[in-house]
Amino acid sequence: MSILSYNGGDVIAMKGKNCVAIACDRRFGIQAQTVATDFDKIFKMGERLYVGLPGLATDTQTVSQRLKYRLNLYTLRENREIKPKTFMSVVSNLLYERRFGPYFVEPVIAGLDPITAEPFVCSLDLIGCPMITDDFVVSGTASEQMYGMCETLWTPDLSPDDLFETISQALLNAVDRDAVSGWGAKVFVIEKDKVTVRTLKTRMD
Amino acid sequence: NLSLGQKGFKAPTAYKTGTTIAGIIFKDGVILGADTRATEDTIVADKNCAKIHYIAPNIYCCGAGTAADTEMTTQMVSSNLELHRLNTDRNVRVATANQMLKQHLYRYQGYISAALVLGGVDIAGPHLYSIYPHGSTDKLPYVTMGSGSLAAMAIFEDGWKPNIDLEEGKALVKTAIRGGIFNDLGSGSNVDLCIITKDKVDYIRPYEESNEKGKRQGSYKYKRGTTSVLTKDVIRFDELDIEVVSEEAMETS
Amino acid sequence: MSQFTTSLPYQGFEDPVTFLQGFTNNDSDVKIKFNHGTTTLAFKFKHGCIVAVDSRATAGPYIASQTVKKVIEINPYLLGTMAGGAADCSFWERVLAKQCRIYELRNKEIISVAAASKLLANMVYGYKGMGLSMGTMIVGWDKQGPGLYYVDSDGTRLTNDIFSVGSGSTYAYGVLDSGYSYDMSVDDAIDLARRAIYHATHRDAYSGGVVNLYHMRKTGWVKVSQDDVMDLHFKYQEEKLKKHA
Repeated sequence: MSILSYNGGDVIAMKGKNCVAIACDRRFGIQAQTVATDFDKIFKMGERLYVGLPGLATDTQTVSQRLKYRLNLYTLRENREIKPKTFMSVVSNLLYERRFGPYFVEPVIAGLDPITAEPFVCSLDLIGCPMITDDFVVSGTASEQMYGMCETLWTPDLSPDDLFETISQALLNAVDRDAVSGWGAKVFVIEKDKVTVRTLKTRMD
Repeated sequence: NLSLGQKGFKAPTAYKTGTTIAGIIFKDGVILGADTRATEDTIVADKNCAKIHYIAPNIYCCGAGTAADTEMTTQMVSSNLELHRLNTDRNVRVATANQMLKQHLYRYQGYISAALVLGGVDIAGPHLYSIYPHGSTDKLPYVTMGSGSLAAMAIFEDGWKPNIDLEEGKALVKTAIRGGIFNDLGSGSNVDLCIITKDKVDYIRPYEESNEKGKRQGSYKYKRGTTSVLTKDVIRFDELDIEVVSEEAMETS
Repeated sequence: MSQFTTSLPYQGFEDPVTFLQGFTNNDSDVKIKFNHGTTTLAFKFKHGCIVAVDSRATAGPYIASQTVKKVIEINPYLLGTMAGGAADCSFWERVLAKQCRIYELRNKEIISVAAASKLLANMVYGYKGMGLSMGTMIVGWDKQGPGLYYVDSDGTRLTNDIFSVGSGSTYAYGVLDSGYSYDMSVDDAIDLARRAIYHATHRDAYSGGVVNLYHMRKTGWVKVSQDDVMDLHFKYQEEKLKKHA
């Protein structure tokens, strides 16, 4: 078993029309044993900027704290909010510094540009190779299932409400085919004037 | 990590670029070509990734191998060369870029898995190098790299001739990359080309969409309200004055 | 009369145990394991015997099915449960069903649970070391009343009042032991078994789906219920909230 699936967990992000959404499951387990069902893998990095860190839970927490630290230094030095794409470089550099002893997380970033409100989603591998897409990104133990769901459900220019429905169903149906993720879900829909956070009713087995 | 490996953990896979990259020297400069597929084991992670990296205004570099390694190595060399350019106030030479890349890769004894095709035009004319992960390099008039290199090289061996002209050269590189896309499972999607001449760079992305996505017949959209929600919170903030950038105008339709 | 009327042919290689070792040790490339995660339980009490199982089949972390029937109905007064290899369990319990029917015809009376379980134990013992994987409970009713036996592919055969088998068995034992009493009513016993399986599916990643519940009585078995554990979760959660309000 890979270290990346030791704790289990998934994150998914999607673009819509003038909005983006990012969602995660809430399981924290040790292999087969479910230890907690309130473990969130998505962290707020700015007003309209969120990062999801599925993978090894200890690294989820370490990386989220290190990112917040580097982000604070950036905002202090530059005295402005970071752009999602710049933040992606911060994540990439942090991960590549550990090229030969990596953090076992595969981050997903979703956000709106602080100036233009342009939607942005991207994902990185565990050593920091960035990948920007204009549709959706997935990461975690059920990534194969999520790829399948996204390829069928996603369409361009979804409204915030439709985007929520699409991302939720993509995540839910994917984790229902994965033994080591699920047990609750959290969805963030990011628009230029508000962020809507929902927790979902899901299967608990 | 070694001890983890011995305990029976399989090392996680990073994005790799099962790749076809190639380059030729033509009459007026260099043509570089690449496919656009990124794979993670057997999954196609990115269907349209850019494998031709910027090094300097007159030099570009195709990368194969572990995606993060090619990305970071080319970025680092690019920034060092920019400093070098500003210090010397001259356009950098391709040979310099080649030397920096091979020294970096040799230092890491092949553990940085980046296989590169470096091409550019400088004061001494067009140059084309292939650089291997361990740090060895070749300087040749036509080169290929990556898992699809055999298919691409077959095309070059058949069709290459000295002093090939631009249109013929573009067609040849395109055919070579297509050879990789269709005959190597690790390569796929589109063809990117980058044509570097003495006073111009033409980065064409995509040059050809070799694999168009099928059209979806039905709609699989879920009705609103399908998902049962337990809690809902809304974080509101003052709407920032969005600067209307000219590009945004087309989104208002 | 040979007890081993059914035998799989394994000619062609001299020592099947050594030959098959390459396939049965865990780090082999060839994957023949399937449906390893399970929770099954059965217990005896005053009014007979309760059998309850989950319904998930997994291949590694992938959930292959959520609707597996893990209780095998051998005949109207014998049940077998399924844990480990799905194919091994269903095949050998089918063979057992055949043997039990033959016994009935020869002896003009139904086979005892003890004899039936021993038949199975002896059969799988003949294939010891060749990669069979099953942990099963044989539940029935005979002249001596309710019978409950645990039989596995190592050849173990045990009898007791309570058994639970599978990756979620520890969780099920926890619930079972804290709520069990021999004199409990049928309704209480059914509720206990259902809760035990539900709690196991909640904690164990490789158990889930629905709870299938059987009651073994003097007249034979009856299927009591089938409940989706998602419905159970939110029902139990509501009950808990009401109790603490």
